[in-house]
Amino acid sequence: MVVLSAARWVRSRLSDRFWRVQEVLKYARHFRGRKNRCYKLAVRSVRRAFVRSTKARREKKRFLRGLWITRIEAASLEHGLKYPAFISNLLKSQVELNRKVLADLAIYEPKTFKSLAALAQRRRQEGFLAALGDGKEPEGIFSRIVHHH
Amino acid sequence: RYVRQLQRLQLLFSPTAADARGAREFVEKAAQDFARQHPDVVLYVSPHSGPGPAPVLRAEYLNGTVRDELIASKTSEEIVQLATKLANQSGLDIIRIRKPFHTDNPSVQGQWHPLTNKPSILTVQGPRLQPQ
Repeated sequence: MVVLSAARWVRSRLSDRFWRVQEVLKYARHFRGRKNRCYKLAVRSVRRAFVRSTKARREKKRFLRGLWITRIEAASLEHGLKYPAFISNLLKSQVELNRKVLADLAIYEPKTFKSLAALAQRRRQEGFLAALGDGKEPEGIFSRIVHHH
Repeated sequence: RYVRQLQRLQLLFSPTAADARGAREFVEKAAQDFARQHPDVVLYVSPHSGPGPAPVLRAEYLNGTVRDELIASKTSEEIVQLATKLANQSGLDIIRIRKPFHTDNPSVQGQWHPLTNKPSILTVQGPRLQPQ
């Protein structure tokens, strides 16, 4: 006789349970304790690990920016400038380098960073002269703004 | 000049198995066109008779990586798409790349060390002055 579907009382059994379990355990292999071996504990830990990693992507940006700021502060203090003075004077001299690049320059290109610190210091002095000298003297050369059209 | 990183594609399947139907149709119809469109890839078709392991498409690359893709219960068109995807890949492992850049010479002026910005009297040892 032709049977198009299995009888109702025949139920199929799982044959690839091992691989389904391994799919989860492979992400738990570097965990500590029983959650790197036991599936029931690993499922919860792996899910929390994934959730934390998605949320941490937003925190990573904040963390790295703080790290760059710390490094730039340390490097500019070596040259006798504090971080707010350095950054504000660089921006006023139209040097628009972001903190990531400045931190990399401070590590790998110390002479360039020294010249940037000197530029910021000079612009700071010109700013003081312009504020205190009350406009009679001509503006300093590093305070001129270049307009790009 | 572009060098295709895929060296050879091995189609391992059993001619009698039920889930290798897509593989058989691929071999009958689309394999020749695929081989003509990708002349620098060698296509091997190796049917093994009798019940054996699941039908697999094995891709070997120039840097030695071997990638197996299951083609059980796939249609011929899906196998063609899979083969073109493997042909356009390189053999590098598919993991997360930590940084999208890499340099062998990161520092041109010399990397910073704690004595870079200190007065040179701390580092330089001058000639020892003889008592006159």
